[in-house]
Amino acid sequence: MSAVRPIRSALVFAAGMLAWLASAAPLRAQQDPMNRAFDLERRGEYAAAVDAYRAILAAKPADATAILGLERSLIPLNRPADIMPQIRAALDAGTRSPAIFGAALRAYGAAGQPDSLRKVAARWAQAEPAEEGPYREWGAALAARHDFGGAKAALLEGRARLGRPDALAAELAQLAVASGDYSSALHEWALALRRLPGYRITAVAQLAQAPERERPELLAQIDRETDPSARRLSADLRARWGDPLRAYRDLVAALPPERGQQVDVLRQFLDVLRTLNSADSRQAQAMTLEALAERATGPQAARYRLDAAQAWSDAGKPEEARRVLAALASDKGTPPQLASGASLTLIGVLIDEGKTDEADRQLRALQGTVSADDYAALRRRLLQGWIRAGNLARADSALAGDSTVDGLALAGRVALFRGDLAGARRRFEAAGPYAGNRDDATERTALIALIQPITAESLPALGDALLALERGDSAAAAQGLDQVAGTLKPGEGGAELRLLAGRIARARGNTALAERQLRAADAADAPATAPAAELELARLLAATGRSGDASQTLEHLILTYPQSALVPQARHELDLIRGGVPRT
Amino acid sequence: MKRRDFVRITAAGAAALSPLAPRLLRSPQRMADWLLVPMDDAQSDHLKAYGVCYRALQRGVKAEWLLNYRSGSFLLPMESAAQRDAALAGVSLETIDDARASSIRGEIQDGNMDAIPLEKAPKVAVYAPPNAAPWDDAVTMALDYAGIKYDKVWDAEVMGQQLKKWDWLHLHHEDFTGQYSKFYLSYAGAPWLADMVQQNTAMAHTLGFPNVPAEKRAVAQTIAKFVEGGGFLFAMCAATETLDLALASEGVDIAAAYADGTPMDPDASRKMHWDQALAFHDARLETSPTTSVYSDIDGHQVNSGDRRQPLGSFTLFNFSAKIDPVATMLVQSHRDVIPDFYGLTTSFTRHTLKSSDTVLADEHGAPWVKYIHGERGQGTWTFFGGHDPEDPQHQIGDAPTDLSLHPHSPGYRLILNNVLFPAARKKELKT
Repeated sequence: MSAVRPIRSALVFAAGMLAWLASAAPLRAQQDPMNRAFDLERRGEYAAAVDAYRAILAAKPADATAILGLERSLIPLNRPADIMPQIRAALDAGTRSPAIFGAALRAYGAAGQPDSLRKVAARWAQAEPAEEGPYREWGAALAARHDFGGAKAALLEGRARLGRPDALAAELAQLAVASGDYSSALHEWALALRRLPGYRITAVAQLAQAPERERPELLAQIDRETDPSARRLSADLRARWGDPLRAYRDLVAALPPERGQQVDVLRQFLDVLRTLNSADSRQAQAMTLEALAERATGPQAARYRLDAAQAWSDAGKPEEARRVLAALASDKGTPPQLASGASLTLIGVLIDEGKTDEADRQLRALQGTVSADDYAALRRRLLQGWIRAGNLARADSALAGDSTVDGLALAGRVALFRGDLAGARRRFEAAGPYAGNRDDATERTALIALIQPITAESLPALGDALLALERGDSAAAAQGLDQVAGTLKPGEGGAELRLLAGRIARARGNTALAERQLRAADAADAPATAPAAELELARLLAATGRSGDASQTLEHLILTYPQSALVPQARHELDLIRGGVPRT
Repeated sequence: MKRRDFVRITAAGAAALSPLAPRLLRSPQRMADWLLVPMDDAQSDHLKAYGVCYRALQRGVKAEWLLNYRSGSFLLPMESAAQRDAALAGVSLETIDDARASSIRGEIQDGNMDAIPLEKAPKVAVYAPPNAAPWDDAVTMALDYAGIKYDKVWDAEVMGQQLKKWDWLHLHHEDFTGQYSKFYLSYAGAPWLADMVQQNTAMAHTLGFPNVPAEKRAVAQTIAKFVEGGGFLFAMCAATETLDLALASEGVDIAAAYADGTPMDPDASRKMHWDQALAFHDARLETSPTTSVYSDIDGHQVNSGDRRQPLGSFTLFNFSAKIDPVATMLVQSHRDVIPDFYGLTTSFTRHTLKSSDTVLADEHGAPWVKYIHGERGQGTWTFFGGHDPEDPQHQIGDAPTDLSLHPHSPGYRLILNNVLFPAARKKELKT
């Protein structure tokens, strides 16, 4: 917990000193006892270092550097309690050193001596009456022993003695979180953030773990606070708990008056949003980026707008993305590199919206001004846009003469959607596994597996069904696949098509149709397809509460097709159904 | 005397003792008369293999446990149900003929091995509160994964004298000192702790006890009687240490004030009645109510801050299979050295072990052991330190362990050895 931070800092500082001294004066180490002790400690000779530090302390019992060195050296020897005589001697010598008081509190805490802890804390507080340190270390020593009740009492005593209602608030907040008391934790964090805004990230990270059922009450509690730091805390928590749009609105309404502060607040909120992954969070990101752009100038503003356009696009709001990009691309003040980036993003948005002609026009205008790779990538995306639009002729002509692996893969898809199965197979095989990314390669393999058993060279009705699927019309695709499958024997592609139709029907929520298709795909004369159909069927049955039937289906799969690559998956499904392994 | 009898009988001819012997004599030419369940590295799922054998016993099949033969393999008579079961579970089987079975038996005769008849699937009970997280107990996880059915019992069943219904009882991280794992202060306010306190207090009152420590002591004493009467007890984690502390604390207040309203007797360590305990003696009790440590029985002191010891690995002892069949059964494994894992009680310090305890595994050079066994009356107890063999640093709220990712876990095998151990013919269980 952060209560130990000051002492840790002291230890780190001392370790730094140690490294410096060790590198600076190996010769001197032979003469100066402290340097010798440091040197022994640096070399890992802890037992000798302990002796060396003790020799120093015998002469100077209140030497804080030696006490800290002794404490460090005893820890790796697993003898931390052995420091006690030196601690007592240092205290008897009337030390006023915070470092020694801190070491004493840790020692008494580890030894389980609460009365001594209290006495040392009181002495330290007497030496430094306005400091939080004594109470923080006292609390930390008790918390380290899991005595959270005692730690809380120590911190509250400190708050009362210091006379500041927000004293030690961060430490009390962390204790409250450790005890699962999120309401008190929120109250304490709100107090702490007024004085120490740098704690915000820690506060948000801890409070965000609050159980879902407590969150509405916690938000109501924080909304009653009027302080700007509380407003920001409220926005961060609301964003993390699933309402980033309301969080954005609340935040903007409570922005500080000064422009620089506004930018800081918006940037920090953007950092929170970037850790989230929902359409709303991306929309909130887009709005925050636009708000930042309004408060920036020149290239920085343009960059914010470009990022905002991408966020709008990712949020499924292409019209908003287009608005931002069009303004950016036409703004003469936009730096050329960002303008071309905006144009590329805009073309992508146009393709996604189905405005392929306009995208084509803009892409041609960009030729020569963007990199060849960027141009080729957008060109392929445009081709996919034409395919999705059903404009196979346009895609075909654009692909003419393209012998790259990516071009061949796309040409294979065009051939497939025309129903030219032989041509599709040939082009897919020529493209191999290297076109596009891993998902593209996997999808091509699945398509090859789908058409492999079909003996016909050409099957336009299948092309239509698959094109319908590509265009997102799953109802038409399922119907088309069903019809084509009816014309084929199970072992000659019919079973594969029914398996696909079953998967589509299940994804559409039509479980009755899915079950019918999957049972039809589970045909004895299609042994390559049957295990996959049975596995899919078992999952469907399990998901609809028919565990017994699902188990039976999985057992049939395992026993009938023991060589199938799907057997391990089937066993795992069986374990899940039987409760043999957790559903994680 | 019992051990000598055993040696004499086995030396006279283990084959003649075997329930499978008539088959060996009957049809020497038949192929695939036996199913060998290998338990060495040829096995594709060690944990589920125990389930296959257990279910075969449930069907009335007489099996044999081939101690130290290929890491403790099992031999079943040819049976299509077992073949089917193994295929579904992904357990490796080898079909062998009578000649090969005879050859194996000869090999066993000549080496530090033995063939122990397994006759009856033991009835298994797991002691757990009704709302215990199903994935927070290594034994429950092992039983579920292996497909071995069990019943859950808690204080009402124990105090209602119902334990006689079961052969084998498992205890996990229950705190029989009635102090809620000594988390009462450090986790104050946590909902799960509040539930635990409420549930235990209500049960204590229902059963007519003034407080939870008194009720848990009575439960511990009833469990000890179950062992004395011939039951098999297997305990892990804090249940090992706290069971013995509860048994030894008749008339001594070892519970903190939050548990029974009065502070712990500062002289409790001296007043303990160690003759009542199963495994430990002369332990020094932890007096701080805020430290989640009970005594110096545990060597690792995981929740003690500076006293906490790092994890090493433990080594299984190699026993003489023909002289010590019980101990040999409990240490059957395809790995002799196993990485250690923490629990509220991780290990058992050597100086607190009773001289009658059999140490089954220890960490070489360390002042603690990991796995111990002993007898009480007609029954036996086995204590295994630690919480989850595949989650060495287990913390409250951690994700459950998925044993399909650890099908060869040697730590979990030790747990399942204990489940199958009571299936051995009574004669073999007395050494």
